[in-house]
Amino acid sequence: MLEALVAMLTPSDVLVSSLGANSRYLPHLNVNAPVFALCDSMGAAIPLALGMALQRPDRHVVALEGDGSLLMCPNVLATVAAARPSNLTALLWVNGHYESSGGQALPSAPVDWPELAKGFGIANVARVGDVPALRVAFPRARAAKAPALLVLDVAFDPSEPIPPYSERPDEIRARFRIA
Amino acid sequence: MSGASRIVAGLEAAGVTLAASVPDTWIGKLMAAVRTSKTIRAVDAAREEEAVAIACGATLAGGRGAVLIQNAGLFNCGGVLAGLVSLYRIPCFFIVSYRGDRRDPIYYHQPKGRVTEPTLSAWGLPFAIADHTTDLQAQVVHGVDSAVASSGPVVLLISGEDIE
Repeated sequence: MLEALVAMLTPSDVLVSSLGANSRYLPHLNVNAPVFALCDSMGAAIPLALGMALQRPDRHVVALEGDGSLLMCPNVLATVAAARPSNLTALLWVNGHYESSGGQALPSAPVDWPELAKGFGIANVARVGDVPALRVAFPRARAAKAPALLVLDVAFDPSEPIPPYSERPDEIRARFRIA
Repeated sequence: MSGASRIVAGLEAAGVTLAASVPDTWIGKLMAAVRTSKTIRAVDAAREEEAVAIACGATLAGGRGAVLIQNAGLFNCGGVLAGLVSLYRIPCFFIVSYRGDRRDPIYYHQPKGRVTEPTLSAWGLPFAIADHTTDLQAQVVHGVDSAVASSGPVVLLISGEDIE
């Protein structure tokens, strides 16, 4: 699904990636938008994207986040709802595991992410189950003119050959420019 | 002009475009002054780590972010300071209310006051203590400029009397 999302990005978008598989796959994809990829600081992707979105309302900012990270700071959903950026879409990968740190299970609570987001005040929420659904939901979220959250349920595969980090933070920082 | 207005004038003069905050009594008064600015976007965050990332996002997007929080909130920020601000060398100016120092009359803040400067030193955070009897605006401008010059965090500690 990451490839399908990337294929929909344009140079007028900005992509912010949480640590882990997102940031490890992205250097191997042809991303047609500025990318800021985190390799640490769990939970920072959405607020980082929010700051960018508020600073640059002429660009659409997309944040990639994982359920383990967001479980550390779900309060950021309230911050986003209060700030009401018209140009921020967050994609939440839900696999119930801390994939990048060895595949440990998250606390086994049945978190209802869409309802939680709505409870925090984010109205544009959709659960996405496959690539065709993402191809419908993402353009809709981008056109919503209000913050949006797409919840993507994905399977955790401990044998998935995720590539290692291949870019250093100073390289990511130096290359990141929003025209 | 109040101290809060002088601080905001400093933020404006230094080119700050976004101020992300979690308030306490003092920072809340300062943020009330920030909200009167025509050039600074005030952003209310639910927790201090978010405020840091929001400010960094504004800076990475071509603006200049600042963080306005209490010292207790700064203590929450060790991870994001190391894993975002320092790791990616992002300028980030903090105004932090120095609760529990000798100027703070509230007794229950004292444990925070005792560990504030040792924590800043241990974390390698450059900091200064504001002095409202001198040019407060210039202290703010210097702090922002220092963060930009060092591509890292700089903290200005303020007390309640600095915003009166």
